Amino acid sequence: MARRTSLPVTFVVPTIAILLVLSMVPTLYAIVIALQNRELSTPDYSWVWLSNFSDLFLDRRFLNAVWVSVKWEIVTVVATMVVAIGLGVLMFEVASPRLRNAYCLLFIIPVLLPRVSAAFVWKFAYHPLYGIATYPYRLITGGLIFDPLSKPATALFAVASVDVWQWGLFFAVIVLKLLETLPPQPIEAARLDHAKRWQIHAYVTLPMLKAPLISLMFVKMIESLRSFDLIYVMTRGGPGVATETLDMYAFSQGFIESGKVSYASAMAVLMMIATVITFTMLWKRVQA
Amino acid sequence: MKPGRLIGRIVLAFAGFMAVFPLLWTALNALKNNVDIITRVPRLVFTPTWANIGYILGRDSVLTGLYNSVVACGSAVLIGVVLGLPAAYAVARYPNRWAGDIQFFVLSLRFLPPVAVAIPLMVIWLQVGLYDTLPALIITYSLLTISVIMWLAIPAFQGVPKEIEEAAFVDGYGAYSVFWRIALPVAARSLAGAVAFSFVLVWNEFLIALMLSSSNAKTLPIVASELSQQGMNVPWGILNASVVLLSLPPLLFLGVLSGFLNSIFRQKKS
Repeated sequence: MARRTSLPVTFVVPTIAILLVLSMVPTLYAIVIALQNRELSTPDYSWVWLSNFSDLFLDRRFLNAVWVSVKWEIVTVVATMVVAIGLGVLMFEVASPRLRNAYCLLFIIPVLLPRVSAAFVWKFAYHPLYGIATYPYRLITGGLIFDPLSKPATALFAVASVDVWQWGLFFAVIVLKLLETLPPQPIEAARLDHAKRWQIHAYVTLPMLKAPLISLMFVKMIESLRSFDLIYVMTRGGPGVATETLDMYAFSQGFIESGKVSYASAMAVLMMIATVITFTMLWKRVQA
Repeated sequence: MKPGRLIGRIVLAFAGFMAVFPLLWTALNALKNNVDIITRVPRLVFTPTWANIGYILGRDSVLTGLYNSVVACGSAVLIGVVLGLPAAYAVARYPNRWAGDIQFFVLSLRFLPPVAVAIPLMVIWLQVGLYDTLPALIITYSLLTISVIMWLAIPAFQGVPKEIEEAAFVDGYGAYSVFWRIALPVAARSLAGAVAFSFVLVWNEFLIALMLSSSNAKTLPIVASELSQQGMNVPWGILNASVVLLSLPPLLFLGVLSGFLNSIFRQKKS
């Protein structure tokens, strides 16, 4: 449609200009703040250049937060993909079309919930004395207490389970839809060769879906970085620093504990650089 | 039936149960008195009470939060529609050498950690005197809604058969009226899904609202999270009621969004 019209310019230029301003101003300003020593309590500040960054690498709590964030990414992304592929294949294999539709509707519900709601729902469920999720344990053990959110060893997994509950079930719907779009001939051919059902999926269907599944994983990696709300409501980074991710630590440094806005901003800038570089590289590879 | 199939069905049924049961339980708890919630053995039979829901709906802070959420999310989505849909159409239908870059730029906005945006914006809004106001929230959320709507609307517009638009051009329509009278109505169902998705996203947003508001502009998620910090005597029923209230608006879009998913994957098939 190579027509001469002003439409592309009038439609694209204002929007992109606004997006550029809205995204570049805070981004650049974040860098500026990170190079100063601003605090919420006082209006004075001076330039300290890179000392916030060098402080960070001596800060053991920061290094812990990096480690927790990495663990969080790995646990949530892997578990989400496993749940999604498992349930997606199951729906494809054993559910009739009507049942599939019903399951799809059910599985979309958790992801629509605000993370704050999801976090509260499960915080109640994990309550050691009155929670519905800990009830089976109390029942079997005759009233012993199981408190997953207050033990350092289990807290991260307990919070991650909520994330997987929201995203794994939703992605299962997408995996099912992807399976439904596949041409039936290769599956029929494999069946004629007496392949077992799991073999058909492991060697035929899932490899055919490699590209969309990788994109899906990519989306989850980005979304996993936005888990602040879950952690904030469920554990506040605790017990101790067991669930303190980078954004949780940046938030508590900047606002709750000391109001060191510049220090928090330095952390945010590092996160930004790391994510932009990682995801740009991944994206280019996915597209290639 | 083969045992494998039976086990598969049981696992699926269990997953379906897990998907909704925690939420249903929360809704039940919202109708319980505290004595019926704080029990060692979960209680299914109880005398329901409307007190928790009444308390929630009668509180000024909740109503202000609800109002703020509706205004902030509604305005941001409107801005996203006005700026995002035309831009998406132009990228989809008038490809040039920047189209790929524009798409990547729009997606890359999603990589930005929310803290990295919220900290400088807080300082900026403080300096220009807009901190803790709805306009500041609306402008910040617009970044989110414009980029999400664009991202989802580009494939939706690409799914409109080119022939229809060509025919309209032959009939003497201009480029703008083709957009208005052909592309928009034909893609309407997918576009509605994109818009609903962006609404759910900003309605559920927490971190930015937490950092950009202190009293006046608090949105509903913030108010709900604060209810949990009321002293030692946790008002369980009230908390459950506030969770239900907060969750209802996004759930209203369940139908639209599942239709949206279906339409996306149907396009891919053809």
